[in-house]
Amino acid sequence: MERILFYILALIMIGFALASVMSRRMLRSVIYLLFVLCAVAGVYFMMDYNFLAAIQLTIYAGGIIVLIIFSVLLVHHIEMRMEIARPTRQLLTALACSLGLAAFLSVIYTYDFQVSGPGPGTEVSVIGAKLLDYGEGGFILPFEVISVLLLAAMVGAIVIAKGTKLSENKNEVK
Amino acid sequence: MDMETLLLLRQEVSLLLIALVLLLFEIFANDRNRAGVVSLAIVLFGLHTALGFMDMKEGELFGGMFRTNALIHMFKNILNLGVLIVLLQSAEWVKKELIPQNRGTEFFILMLSSLLGLQFLISSGDFLMFYLGLELSTLPLAALAAFEIYRMRSSEAGIKLILSSALASGITLFGISLLYASSGSIYYAELQGAISENPLTVLAMILFFAGLGFKISLVPFHFWTADVYEGAPIGIASYLSVISKGAAIFILMILFFTVLKPLMHLWENLFYLLSVLTMFLGNLFALRQQNMKRFLAFSSIAQAGFILLGLITGTTLGVATVIYFILIYIFSNLAAFGVVQAISTETGKEQLQDYEGLYRTNPKLSLVMMLGLFSLAGIPPVAGFFGKFFLFTAAASKGYYFLVFLAVVNVTISLYYYLLVVRAMFLRKSEHPIPYFTNTVYMRIGLVITVIGILALGLYSPIYDYIYALSSTLN
Repeated sequence: MERILFYILALIMIGFALASVMSRRMLRSVIYLLFVLCAVAGVYFMMDYNFLAAIQLTIYAGGIIVLIIFSVLLVHHIEMRMEIARPTRQLLTALACSLGLAAFLSVIYTYDFQVSGPGPGTEVSVIGAKLLDYGEGGFILPFEVISVLLLAAMVGAIVIAKGTKLSENKNEVK
Repeated sequence: MDMETLLLLRQEVSLLLIALVLLLFEIFANDRNRAGVVSLAIVLFGLHTALGFMDMKEGELFGGMFRTNALIHMFKNILNLGVLIVLLQSAEWVKKELIPQNRGTEFFILMLSSLLGLQFLISSGDFLMFYLGLELSTLPLAALAAFEIYRMRSSEAGIKLILSSALASGITLFGISLLYASSGSIYYAELQGAISENPLTVLAMILFFAGLGFKISLVPFHFWTADVYEGAPIGIASYLSVISKGAAIFILMILFFTVLKPLMHLWENLFYLLSVLTMFLGNLFALRQQNMKRFLAFSSIAQAGFILLGLITGTTLGVATVIYFILIYIFSNLAAFGVVQAISTETGKEQLQDYEGLYRTNPKLSLVMMLGLFSLAGIPPVAGFFGKFFLFTAAASKGYYFLVFLAVVNVTISLYYYLLVVRAMFLRKSEHPIPYFTNTVYMRIGLVITVIGILALGLYSPIYDYIYALSSTLN
């Protein structure tokens, strides 16, 4: 049963990922991506990573997708379709991608992976304690560094938004 | 954990504090005193740099996620010094261009957060901190590259930098996840014994290397370099070319010499190939550049090829020569970039032909530029010669004679285009030379430090001995 469920999720993921990359309309690509992210959450649920799955749904499927939709809607030419590349280029890209996929798959399938023991648990309380732990296996430092990263990203975003607009001759400040 | 062990984080905490003080300053500043941020930031950062030279104990924090020792600490000081020079050289540009637009403080905050990222990157003890450091150092740089957002080229530079760096860090991350899959740990200390040679780890190493190769702008990953350097403000271009490149080489060295040591006979060949490619491509493309920033971009690609040549050895000698070379490279490249910055801020000119007859009007600037270029080319009395000489010695000591021969060919090519600039400045006459102008105090200090650095590193040998003594801690 579990195996069947997994393959269904995997099919959804691969199918919609392909659709998302191949679609020529921006908004449709984003919606296809939404399904991919939801299916990933499904895999997390299957592995009993309930907290991670909830985060995946709220942040990725909820937040990030809405953010992307907003930015797509703010783009002027929403109806614009992506242009189709020349056939030789398509062929070369397809060739490179399949070669890469073959290399990765062959390496991953021939490797003898070790099954790891059970982790420290996936309850929210354990995760919370780990995030504040400063000893071995604790994550307080990365947690704090991420906050600096977010601060820097916000400052950067503000700076770009504050910039003067391009003038008519595109070279001078208005 | 007590206060004393927390002192190991001293450099990072003080950087973060400076950034927060500047943020507070921005909140309370008004139009009249806003320009004060330039002096405030430079003085605070100068203090930070000076205090950094105090001794640091060896140790690790947070269960091995953060570690530091004398070598790492010294490299942090080198980065601090480099950023101080960049800030000094950018001060006039910030005052002239950014303060009127009310965007001066953000420049410093972003620059310092990027440096903070690099500091975390080089003292990371596991791949999580490695990745966060990489991101923290790159993300602010994309905003900085697009700082002159009203210029098409600058916004183009920002977009190019963020897209290619997103791709590169994605590839690195995939490599890291494969390494994790092969051994079940992301801590360097645990990985060190656990890595054996099999297809999975080799694939992981190649992917991982690709991401760092982007930062160092080695040849297959160099496409962004010239466009970003040309479009970005000059201070950012010089930061990208020396600081972030230097830190990336340093962490590459730590990881490949310790964690990935079992795969050495493989990455030796990889480094060999990329070193030759990078040197030739960088040099040949630099020959035909007319824009000074693009010219320096390709020259910095070529220099990365030379550095890779020193990394091949994997010995203490290799470590010492590479760090010594990076130090010289920082000073020399910042001297050249500083002059380009000074001239560009004053007159807005960036083409090679604009430099014709510069010696007649601005002899001091021409001399600094000449010294920087001679050092980059490796002409004997200045430091660059010793840097290159030691690198070649290190490679030759492991029997890579043909590689050294190719490198010498490249030095000859590079000599030609560095001398082109010198010829334009000293021998050519121009109808409209750049008129005489005086530099601000900050710019002068910035240039004088680079000149002292170039001369002292070449003439005062205890610096190299000190680096060599510390380098033995890595192996």
